[in-house]
Amino acid sequence: MIVVHIPDAFIPLPQAAVYWIIALIFIALALRWARAEMREEKVPLVAVLAAGIFAIQAVNVPIPWGTSGHMMGAALAAVVLGSPFAAVFVLTLVLIVQGVLFGDGGITVMGANIINMGVVGGFVGYYSYQGLNRVFKNPYPSAFVAAWFSLLVAALVCAVEMAIAGTFPLGLGLFSMGLYHAVIGVIEGAITAAALYLIFTARPDLISTSEGVTA
Amino acid sequence: MQRDNLLIFGVIIALAIAVAAPFIASSNPDGLESAFFGIFGAKDIHGSELNEEAAGAAEEQVTEITGNTFSFAAPFPDYSIEGLSKMGEALAVAIGTLLVLAVAFGLGRAFSRTE
Repeated sequence: MIVVHIPDAFIPLPQAAVYWIIALIFIALALRWARAEMREEKVPLVAVLAAGIFAIQAVNVPIPWGTSGHMMGAALAAVVLGSPFAAVFVLTLVLIVQGVLFGDGGITVMGANIINMGVVGGFVGYYSYQGLNRVFKNPYPSAFVAAWFSLLVAALVCAVEMAIAGTFPLGLGLFSMGLYHAVIGVIEGAITAAALYLIFTARPDLISTSEGVTA
Repeated sequence: MQRDNLLIFGVIIALAIAVAAPFIASSNPDGLESAFFGIFGAKDIHGSELNEEAAGAAEEQVTEITGNTFSFAAPFPDYSIEGLSKMGEALAVAIGTLLVLAVAFGLGRAFSRTE
């Protein structure tokens, strides 16, 4: 049974500490966002999204080259809840439970995992969705491409961190992480678009939130 | 009513995925692991054969490179529950899902905007 985020051994402690500091800044901003923008009636939706993202992350889907990949869910959280900080909020909780309870993803390097999946995934997912939706004028293809792109960029940022750590050479790291995650991103895109379809069909009122109008 | 339906449906879907996950998930190395094994010579980047011995050596090698020897004994390592096999994993993921639900709800309530 695997999900697998960056393990402790992949990043030297001083660098891991820097990633934790950056992550904590974004966590503080996410909490500030919650206080200012997250209405109390949205809380059950946030909780269900977090639980669903935790569960779906456990499903590693086989891709070619003897590899597997799993959903990240940051783009989905950001689009449904109408802010990239929502993704930071949700993914941080998911990563803490995965790391502390299940040893999935390191403890010292959790900051890096929060940056990659919550911050990079959330911001790239949210803003590319906003941009694409202006072109496509349809949330589902926009969500598909935005989610695919968010996973790919998160993986490339991870490859850069691995290069700084001395774990991966930059070129080969970018190539292999890019190759695998360009394929895994298709799964991310498909599930994000499908989940968004279900959510918007059941709750059309959430569409305006996703378009950046404060709820 | 519709509002509650979506949430209940969401929890049911999440739990169904959680319980099914250990039975349907691929045990191939994930993207990051696979890139790691490829770079450390335990696997061809485009190949699917994993050399278990080289994979073990790669894990020792990377610890030497980074010097990060931190280890942490999680209560349910790799989503397993001691003494239980696949059913234990299904239970572990289900527990995790419910815990995330509860923690997100609690923190959400604590930090949400109140008027």
